[in-house]
Amino acid sequence: MNSTKSSGVWVVGEQKDGQLAVVTLELLTIGRLIANLLKQELAIIIIGNELEYVVEILREYGANRIVLVSGECVEHFIPEVHSNSIAALIAKDSPSIVLFPATYDGRDVAARLSAKLGVGLAADCTDLTVDEQGRFIQVRPAFGGNLMAVIAQSVATPQLATLRPHIIKPAKSQQKIEPVVEHASAIGLPNLYDKVILKTVREVIEEYGNLDEAEVVIGVGRGLGKIANLKMVNQLATLLEAAVGGSRGVVDAGWLPHNQQIGLTGRVISPKMYLALGISGAVQHLVGVRTAKEIVAINIDANAPIFKVATFGIVGDLTIIVPALIKQLESKISNRGVAASENLT
Amino acid sequence: MSLLRIVVCVKQVPDVAEIRIDEITHTLIRSGVPSILNPFDEFAVEEALKVRERFGGDVTAISMGPPQAKEALYRCLAMGVDRAILLSDSKFAGADTWATARTLAMTIQKIGFDLVICGMKAVDGETCQVGPQVAELLNIPHVSYVKRLDVNADGASLVAERMTEQGHQVVRSSIPCLLTASKALNFPRLPTIIKQMAARKKTIDIFTAEDIGAQKEQVGLLGSRTHVLKVYTPNLSTGEGKIVSGDDLGSAITQLLELFKKGGITQ
Repeated sequence: MNSTKSSGVWVVGEQKDGQLAVVTLELLTIGRLIANLLKQELAIIIIGNELEYVVEILREYGANRIVLVSGECVEHFIPEVHSNSIAALIAKDSPSIVLFPATYDGRDVAARLSAKLGVGLAADCTDLTVDEQGRFIQVRPAFGGNLMAVIAQSVATPQLATLRPHIIKPAKSQQKIEPVVEHASAIGLPNLYDKVILKTVREVIEEYGNLDEAEVVIGVGRGLGKIANLKMVNQLATLLEAAVGGSRGVVDAGWLPHNQQIGLTGRVISPKMYLALGISGAVQHLVGVRTAKEIVAINIDANAPIFKVATFGIVGDLTIIVPALIKQLESKISNRGVAASENLT
Repeated sequence: MSLLRIVVCVKQVPDVAEIRIDEITHTLIRSGVPSILNPFDEFAVEEALKVRERFGGDVTAISMGPPQAKEALYRCLAMGVDRAILLSDSKFAGADTWATARTLAMTIQKIGFDLVICGMKAVDGETCQVGPQVAELLNIPHVSYVKRLDVNADGASLVAERMTEQGHQVVRSSIPCLLTASKALNFPRLPTIIKQMAARKKTIDIFTAEDIGAQKEQVGLLGSRTHVLKVYTPNLSTGEGKIVSGDDLGSAITQLLELFKKGGITQ
């Protein structure tokens, strides 16, 4: 594709079961910045059915175009269908940049698309910008977050990147832009192969929350002592609207499902706050939370390495501290309830 | 029932847990850091061996890397793969994920395949991209982050469970297909010392760019679409934190609640 002709910053959002993933708004926020720097238009692509609800949410985030892609074939997520559908839109409009969320689904789609189009893709970026030469610049961690790489791409367009959730704060656009809403049809699988989603199961999210979406993540380690103590952790998680994950030791012991493992051989997360309970802080675990804004640790061992990276730490027995914390949070909530009802009378 | 030709893509990586930062120069200390078979690739190899044990067929491990990357392939041979191929050529050096995927796909196309299994990510680059990119280049479907696999008795299709943020998807796919293995998939076998020694006597085939029919513009640095302008070590919040004793429970909790409030987590 000819880079001189291509124009437009595109964001591919994520939505499931009538819910827009927060990372979509984060992508739009950074997409607007990049579009302004390049003096190009911003478009957002949302794939799924019954998408009317997203327009109201997206309207204020500075997109010039909202493109809704629907069809029978997008009832369940199939990466090949998403990448084919986006490729068709790209062939029509030649955008210069396309951004995706660095989620399980987003990475799958972006990777297939990059291979299909023969264009570059920077994965799991923690910053995106434009340099003084007008080049699109991506920053991403490597080697377990020990190193940050600053990346530029060849002239082949579109240039692709996936952005980690929670890296930037979603902000409504200051500019008054009335987006044009467009509709497109999704493109099904190629005939040469057959792939069917038999079912989509939502089990983890109900019980432990979404590690990528939650602003607060509570991580538990073997220092939790016993599996029964998870009960108080879940209670705390409910109060803080937090997701619950854990160290490899906890997952290997069967206390938490594999999906909730944080660290080198698990998930890499970037919450606003990571609350480490009974986590000693082995390097293998810490690489999974390097990009958390704040790390708060509670551990009985004052020498635990987690305290070296914590912004705040309490040395003590978590089976005493956590229940006390729960009690305080609960009383704050009920006090607020009282105050609110007093206001009514 | 047909015999399945299974290809496993593996990578030799530095043991990321052993990497340290030089606190004065703020650079990565890589000397003395051992190289290992990427942990996720062990799950891929194990699953390939399990499929072979059930269906017959053969397993080929392929890896792109410098001559030292043979070590990772010896590990695969010790685990029980039938054949190992090292893609080693100065033309391959400096490859990004796209150039890597292209090199692997050209090789896989050349040797023939039914099932391709990769680790879901490499612990050094952590992109999770190469597997799906290879699948696209081979024009086959893929299922990523697989936590359970059942190949149907006819060897023509499979059912896989794919991890998602919310839970999992159950996916049925025709074969040929590419899978990326998560840690939940299996427990990789530990080869005995005898098997490890026997593996070292086996031959590792070396393929060059010419062997896979690749032009130098297609692979390595020249074939790459992304280029690293510079690297730096991030500022980690080390030693800045305030650590208090839980003995004064009231004060510790008050400070924590204050922090929640400041961070906008509670009202």
